[in-house]
Amino acid sequence: MKRSRSSLFWRLTALISAVLLAGAAVLAIAASNYARTAADDAYDRVLLGAARQISETLSAENGVVEAGVPVSALEALSASRTARVYYRIVLPAKTEVTGYQDLPLPAGAEAGGAGPFVSNTDFKGHPIRIAAVGRYFAEANGWVMTMVGQTLEARDALARDLTLKAMVLVGLMSLIALTGMIVAIRLALRPLTDIETALLKRPPYVLTPLDVEAPAEVATLIAAINNFMERLAGRLAAMQRFIADSAHQIRTPLTALVGQVELLSAETNAAKRQHHVERVRTRTAELARLTNQLLSDAMISHRAETMGQSEVDVATLAREALAAAVPVSLDRDITVSFDVPPDPVVMRGDAVSLREAFKNVIENAIQHGARSLLRLTVRREPHGIEVEIADDGPGIPQELWPQATERFFRGSSGGTGSGLGLAIAREVAVHHGGELGFKSQEGIFSVLFTFSGVEPS
Amino acid sequence: MRILIVEDTPDVGEAIVAWLSRVGYAVDWQMTGEGARDALNVQSYDLIILDVMLPDIDGFTLLGEIRARKIDTAVLVLTARSQVDDRVGALDLGADDYLVKPFDFRELEARARALARRRHGATVSRLQVGDVVLDQAARLVTVAGERVDLTRREVALLEVLMARPQRVFSKADLLNQIFGFGEDAGENAIELYVARLRRKLGAAGMEIKTVRGVGYQAGPADEKK
Repeated sequence: MKRSRSSLFWRLTALISAVLLAGAAVLAIAASNYARTAADDAYDRVLLGAARQISETLSAENGVVEAGVPVSALEALSASRTARVYYRIVLPAKTEVTGYQDLPLPAGAEAGGAGPFVSNTDFKGHPIRIAAVGRYFAEANGWVMTMVGQTLEARDALARDLTLKAMVLVGLMSLIALTGMIVAIRLALRPLTDIETALLKRPPYVLTPLDVEAPAEVATLIAAINNFMERLAGRLAAMQRFIADSAHQIRTPLTALVGQVELLSAETNAAKRQHHVERVRTRTAELARLTNQLLSDAMISHRAETMGQSEVDVATLAREALAAAVPVSLDRDITVSFDVPPDPVVMRGDAVSLREAFKNVIENAIQHGARSLLRLTVRREPHGIEVEIADDGPGIPQELWPQATERFFRGSSGGTGSGLGLAIAREVAVHHGGELGFKSQEGIFSVLFTFSGVEPS
Repeated sequence: MRILIVEDTPDVGEAIVAWLSRVGYAVDWQMTGEGARDALNVQSYDLIILDVMLPDIDGFTLLGEIRARKIDTAVLVLTARSQVDDRVGALDLGADDYLVKPFDFRELEARARALARRRHGATVSRLQVGDVVLDQAARLVTVAGERVDLTRREVALLEVLMARPQRVFSKADLLNQIFGFGEDAGENAIELYVARLRRKLGAAGMEIKTVRGVGYQAGPADEKK
């Protein structure tokens, strides 16, 4: 979230402004071109009109061509103060009838012809527009060309004027569009602000779902936030339960311990002292095992969140777990059997967590079951890798299997276990995409890890 | 058997010393890594019991030094650490076994005894006589590659015999080795275990011979069989 600090609003506004600006620029160029064409069209028509009018007055008598240039013909042209108008009537022999004698013919008109001819050229150092029409006189032996030229100020002014007006319109439109968009963006972003306000208003302990009205696009965000809060609430509740349970689990044997030590210090009868010493020993062992499991549980949770997985050999881990978990000093003379495939059974996982899970189940088996047999089997099955830890003890009654993997579960025996071993095992199994199951067959009770979806190697 | 204990917590050190002395071991106790170095310079030991959290030197560093000096004494590491982030365990650093605190003193004694039985300097903790292989860490036995299911005591008995092939052990020796301090068992228990072991090992390339009037010895099976 901290990564992008620029506001969504400003980013959208900038983007839309850029698009509008580019559009306005294209429109401006188009408008300027169009205005130029329109101004040229209008003025060319006037220019040609003047030329034609003058041309009409031409008459030939005795081989002499004469012109009576009507003032009205040129008046329309010189409407603007700055504009200058030139004319010239020229014979086929390039001798003048009248007008500016070096006024150039428009392009294409040199050979004569009826015309009309129009083109741009330069005259007296100014760019001008020149138009020409021709009349054929047999007496003159060819085309008599009438030319009228005009400087560009007027048409430039018209073109500018047209362009400017178009630009004002484009600008206005862009402004209206931008304002509309800004309003739209503000409106569209409003639900986000609403969510923010709703979240900020809450006290930290409230983790109920957000109830903010929102359009479909933002509803998914709210759903995600609500889902996250639900998980958080679940996690928090579990933690509170865990702390409460742990407190009970730790304080009970501690209190018993304190009591027994008190009794011990006051007792003078040797046999009774021995009895209290035994109680102290049992309670201490219980407390030690509980502490280990609480730490193990915390460690597993921590590793599940932070540790990466690598290739591990399940058979090796199981063997190490066996070496660590089966006490060498065990009084019961049980048979420990270890059955694994000859080659490594490789899967992706966290070695420490897996070993810890196996250890906990093995310890459970020894603590509560295993009269004369403990059997650890690693199998490669079509649906994944199976690790089975079996013993010939009483096991867990089938009706308790669903609760057996919950934290602080204790069997009906009310034994000395902390009820964390199976919970740890299940958490590790689930974290590795597997599950923890139970099996009871012919007096043998098994805890079964199934890691499915493991690629065979 | 001489044991060096490196442990800085007085209550714990005192208890270990008392327990192991009672069982009959000669015990030296050092409370610092520096003291342990000095002790190792002047005395050789059969076993080192090393706490990894020492005030002056990290126990793992000391373990590294011990191995670098080619001292092949078995090392049993005591640790109170949890492997939350520890990438390497004690075993990877050259320890032969480890116990997590708090531990049961009977377990400490049993593991110390098991370590002492291991062949010194062997990198892999396995014993082999004929085609019988005993994995001392996991306490598993195979015959010609096939696993044989033995009870804990049968493994312990086999381990004692296989650690010194051909040596003759008296029943009293064996009794001392495989039953802990204070456990009540008679010599006929040994006879029972030997009989069971022979049956379970079957036609292995190793046999347990009775040396009449003395005891038992392990050795390769005779050819004719």
